[in-house]
Amino acid sequence: MDNKSRARLIHLLISKSMAEALVITAVAVGFYFATTNPNLRGVLDQADNTSITGWAVDESSPSARVEVQLFIDDTFAGDSTANQYRPDVHQAKRAPDDWHGFAFPTPQLSSGDHQARVYAVHTNGEGSRRTLQLIGKPYRFRIGQ
Amino acid sequence: MTTESQAQPARSTNSGPSVPSDRALAGWEIVSLGSSALIAEWILSAAAGRTRLVVAIPLAFAFVLVITSHVLRKESLRDLGFRFDNSLRAAKLLMLPMIVIAVLCIGLGLIFGTRPDLFRWHPGRPIAGQLALGFAWGFVQQYVLQSFVNRRAQIVWQKGVRSVVLTAFVFSFLHFPNPWLMLVTFIGGLVWAFVYQRAPNLFALAISHSLMTWVIVSTLPMSALNHLRIGFKYFA
Repeated sequence: MDNKSRARLIHLLISKSMAEALVITAVAVGFYFATTNPNLRGVLDQADNTSITGWAVDESSPSARVEVQLFIDDTFAGDSTANQYRPDVHQAKRAPDDWHGFAFPTPQLSSGDHQARVYAVHTNGEGSRRTLQLIGKPYRFRIGQ
Repeated sequence: MTTESQAQPARSTNSGPSVPSDRALAGWEIVSLGSSALIAEWILSAAAGRTRLVVAIPLAFAFVLVITSHVLRKESLRDLGFRFDNSLRAAKLLMLPMIVIAVLCIGLGLIFGTRPDLFRWHPGRPIAGQLALGFAWGFVQQYVLQSFVNRRAQIVWQKGVRSVVLTAFVFSFLHFPNPWLMLVTFIGGLVWAFVYQRAPNLFALAISHSLMTWVIVSTLPMSALNHLRIGFKYFA
């Protein structure tokens, strides 16, 4: 192979690597937006031995009710819809109406420390992919003896 | 241009900026092709959702590399294996390993309690049509594997055991993480790379590829082969 052909091949290999890096970057950005809703807001504000409550709003579609899933100690514990009465969220101007709360009855748990997480279920435009987004922060609580 | 004539010292001695040797360049080409396949199998097929067309992008890049490399290295179609004059020799070389592998597959299948079923590949499709599709897909795979990977491996390590093993390893690695498929593709890769180095004939290899896929799918338990899934889809 002559030097000119070798140089062309090297340029092609470098260009191909750069093009692939661009494709991966574009797909990663697209994947992020397809699987993440940056307009979801909410808080998990209480958990004890009787209930786990909070609120969730999709600011891109504020009149819709957000589907939520509860995980306790990283184990699925139930799903629900954030459609409970929470006038304080409305008064704080975080929601257009009073009905964006969620409440899960606390399942039977062993005594001791536990961690609750509530996720909003996000479905992409095609409906082909459903992903979970954490609402607020994990909430640690104790079940007494 | 023959592959033997392309081997050169590790660095060219021209006075300009240092340029990779032919060996280093050939190794780079193999790695680049592998990266395209892995990007398609592991990143894009996982992230693409229903828009599967995006998977074709790195594969298109790979084909641009393969074809441009043939042109720059002045490889003729005959060099690459698009020929019929050596069909008989290739068939003779393939015959015995194919029979041995088929008997082994039937034996292994029976040991695992799977009765051979020649219509298991795609039950809803006529077997002749499936074999034709298998031939087409096998031809593409053998073209890339032998006309590109095997020939570049020969530039890196000359004709012989090491280049045959490198070709088989690349073929097997592209079927990661399916362990049974990696094993059978490594064995198949050894046979096909060995035969190609003695009788480069892509048509014979594609027929062999199609027939061996049929045999493997018909004899080995599909639960072990996981429906031939590879890459991210293996976990689907």
